[in-house]
Amino acid sequence: MIAYIIRRLIATIPVMLLVAIIVFLLVHLAPGDPASVIAGDNATSDQIAAIRAALGLDRPLWEQFAIWIGNVLQGDLGHSLFWNRSVSELILQRAEPTISLAITTLILAVTISITLGVLAAWKAGSGLDRAVMGVAVTGFSVPVFVVGYLLVFVFAIQLGWLPVQGYRPIAEGLWPWLERLILPSIALGLAYVALIARITRTTMLEVLAEDYMRTAEAKGVATRPMLLKHALKNAAVPIVTIVGIGVALLIGGVVITETVFNIPGIGRLVVDAIARRDYPIIQGVILVFSGVYVLVNLAVDISYTFFDPRVRY
Amino acid sequence: MGGVAAAAVTPAIVIAQPAPPANRTVRAILHGDIPTFDPIWTTANMAANHGALVYDTLFGIDEKVTAQPQMIGRHGFSDDKLTLTMELRDGLKWTDGTDVTSRDCVASIRRWAVRDGAGQHMMQRVTDVSPGDARTIVIKFREPYGIALDAMAKTSTPFCFMMREKEALTDPMQKIETTVGSGPFIMNERETRPGTQYVYDKNPNYRPRSEPPSWIAGGKVAHVDRVIIQNVPDAQTAIAALQAGEVDYVETPSLDSVRDLERDRDIMLAPRSPLGDVGWIRLNFLHPPFDNVKARQAVLWAVNQEAHMRASFVDPRFYQKCGAYLTCGTPMENDANTEWFRNGPNPERARQLLRESGYNGQPVTLMQATNIVYMNNTAQILAQELRGIGFNIQMVPMDWSGVVQRRASRAAPDQGGWNIFLTSADGLSSGNPIWAAAHAATGERGWFGWPSDEKHEQLRNAWVSAPDLAARQKIAREMQENAWNFVPTVYYGQWKQPVAHRRNVTGWIATPGCVPFWNVRKT
Repeated sequence: MIAYIIRRLIATIPVMLLVAIIVFLLVHLAPGDPASVIAGDNATSDQIAAIRAALGLDRPLWEQFAIWIGNVLQGDLGHSLFWNRSVSELILQRAEPTISLAITTLILAVTISITLGVLAAWKAGSGLDRAVMGVAVTGFSVPVFVVGYLLVFVFAIQLGWLPVQGYRPIAEGLWPWLERLILPSIALGLAYVALIARITRTTMLEVLAEDYMRTAEAKGVATRPMLLKHALKNAAVPIVTIVGIGVALLIGGVVITETVFNIPGIGRLVVDAIARRDYPIIQGVILVFSGVYVLVNLAVDISYTFFDPRVRY
Repeated sequence: MGGVAAAAVTPAIVIAQPAPPANRTVRAILHGDIPTFDPIWTTANMAANHGALVYDTLFGIDEKVTAQPQMIGRHGFSDDKLTLTMELRDGLKWTDGTDVTSRDCVASIRRWAVRDGAGQHMMQRVTDVSPGDARTIVIKFREPYGIALDAMAKTSTPFCFMMREKEALTDPMQKIETTVGSGPFIMNERETRPGTQYVYDKNPNYRPRSEPPSWIAGGKVAHVDRVIIQNVPDAQTAIAALQAGEVDYVETPSLDSVRDLERDRDIMLAPRSPLGDVGWIRLNFLHPPFDNVKARQAVLWAVNQEAHMRASFVDPRFYQKCGAYLTCGTPMENDANTEWFRNGPNPERARQLLRESGYNGQPVTLMQATNIVYMNNTAQILAQELRGIGFNIQMVPMDWSGVVQRRASRAAPDQGGWNIFLTSADGLSSGNPIWAAAHAATGERGWFGWPSDEKHEQLRNAWVSAPDLAARQKIAREMQENAWNFVPTVYYGQWKQPVAHRRNVTGWIATPGCVPFWNVRKT
């Protein structure tokens, strides 16, 4: 197992390098120029050229890449072109809100969706099953920002139960932290509830049709242990896989959710950076996101051995 | 006593400020994010908003569009009009506790003048800027320069903010990172989170002028202890936050939401700037077809300002059509040579002009900034209007950042250049032939589009040297007469974006170029 993990970690190096090259090229070849943004609307071409030179953007692309990748290999993601802060510092500053949102969303989504999926499979064809699938289809079809605006309108403006926007660090107290995450987590989590619930239902239906489940039922095993201990554990591998894929989707969803709910996380950081072409931030954040995605996939692969002892690396 | 003494010598910037109560704190959502804390390094208006809080200016423009002394006390020109002497008023201090000196101001003027169009224009006529004594600044001119005070008072970016000599000596192409000003507020660096929220505390050592506030002139009295500027990019979220009472002020509420806001008893709408903004259609003089005056005139006669304004600004209370070259509502507004406006739009006349230009149907590249609503709408309407008179329009959608990069290209449109792009400028700078860099007609030395016209430049120079308002108005009339013949630009309208604020937060001063937070009270 250890050898497998080491092999997988080594294999991430070329993946990350490829990501770095693609990100760098995409960012630099896309239209837009931070010097033009900095110079503002009244600047002349000469002023923009002077700023480009001051930022080192007039150097050949390969030279800029060599400098950047050399620094990255030494653990330096560079400095923001606009703020006197390192990219690592800015990412760390914004990490807490994003991690908080991701964790609360995953907890909410996994808890609700697996419960609904198991219930739908258990009562397949019933009104409950159809209702769960209806929720799943709706959750998957309605964009995050629409759900977000509706939640804000009802629960923040009309009822005044929860705040519209913003984030409070957990250090300021559990409730101030949580109350600002409830609506974003629901908005963001709905799509994952839909996704995971559908997979859970389908997988559970397959498992429930297996001979060993009939045997368990014939031996008089009660419904709850039969569903949770025998069926759900055997259905876990596809569910864990889809949760892993969900984490990747979550990264995209976080960007939108953080914008709608004005959460100062990494998603907002990269959106703002794209708008002003702050290359080091865009490159740094995407590299970090890619690393997280690779590690999540590794964690998912390793978790298979826990749920299915037949899997060996 | 010892504590008081220690506080007196401790730079205010490093004193930890306890959070003031909610009724002493104003929270505002402005139109964007502050891109840098150096308001000289960039012309972005958000940097000017930051600058207006923490820095002060030697002069400030008032609601009569007249320069009034701000940091300056006594001042005046010599009899030959070639020497301007200005004396700093008493009690001006930086937030590090040191006195504001003439050396600071001289360095600040020099740095600003490198980056600012009006400053550059002034410095071409300046032989020396130097400190007289510790509180006296002396500017010597090569020739009389009637708008020197206006240039240093203006509210089009970059403002002529005063900084410590230490920062002001920084290369103008490099940004400064330290925020030490002498304005009514102090930046609270501990609470500020770049990209999300910017916190400013009342400057206890600021000594406002005694005159009533008027635009950025007069007394800048801070009635609240803290100002928090939040960066909320989503317009709907900003409105929801205002309605829920989480913020007090939204600078650019979406016009779709105006009716809802008007129905809300806790919210008021007010004008953001009395002169609003002017929409500019820039035509590239370097390449066909707009190297031909007839083709440019065709665009002038084709554009229907009402259609453009209605599409983006919906309610006639928030926009107007304007045929003046120098902004409607300013002292320079006039009706010279505005037949195209009074009798237009006239597509038939436009078609005729286009035929006379010899246009051969080549593609015309129109850059469309899709992420700015009014520019996106205007580009689509303009494309339709121009196709209607015979242009072969090719729209190139991109975000605004893409536009600002590509517009700098002088290459042919099919080699990465362009023919048309859209932009806007605040009404005050649009109404001044010097402040808006886009008014220059100096060819490739000028602003994007690179219009060239010798007579226009002669008139701009004459306007600068004019002895009084009446003389300037006369020249402005001649300038407009000439402009609508050679068509350096075409306007698609003038609009006045309303702001929305909580009813219990009063005292907002509608000012072009920035949002003043002085004079604001919260109950």
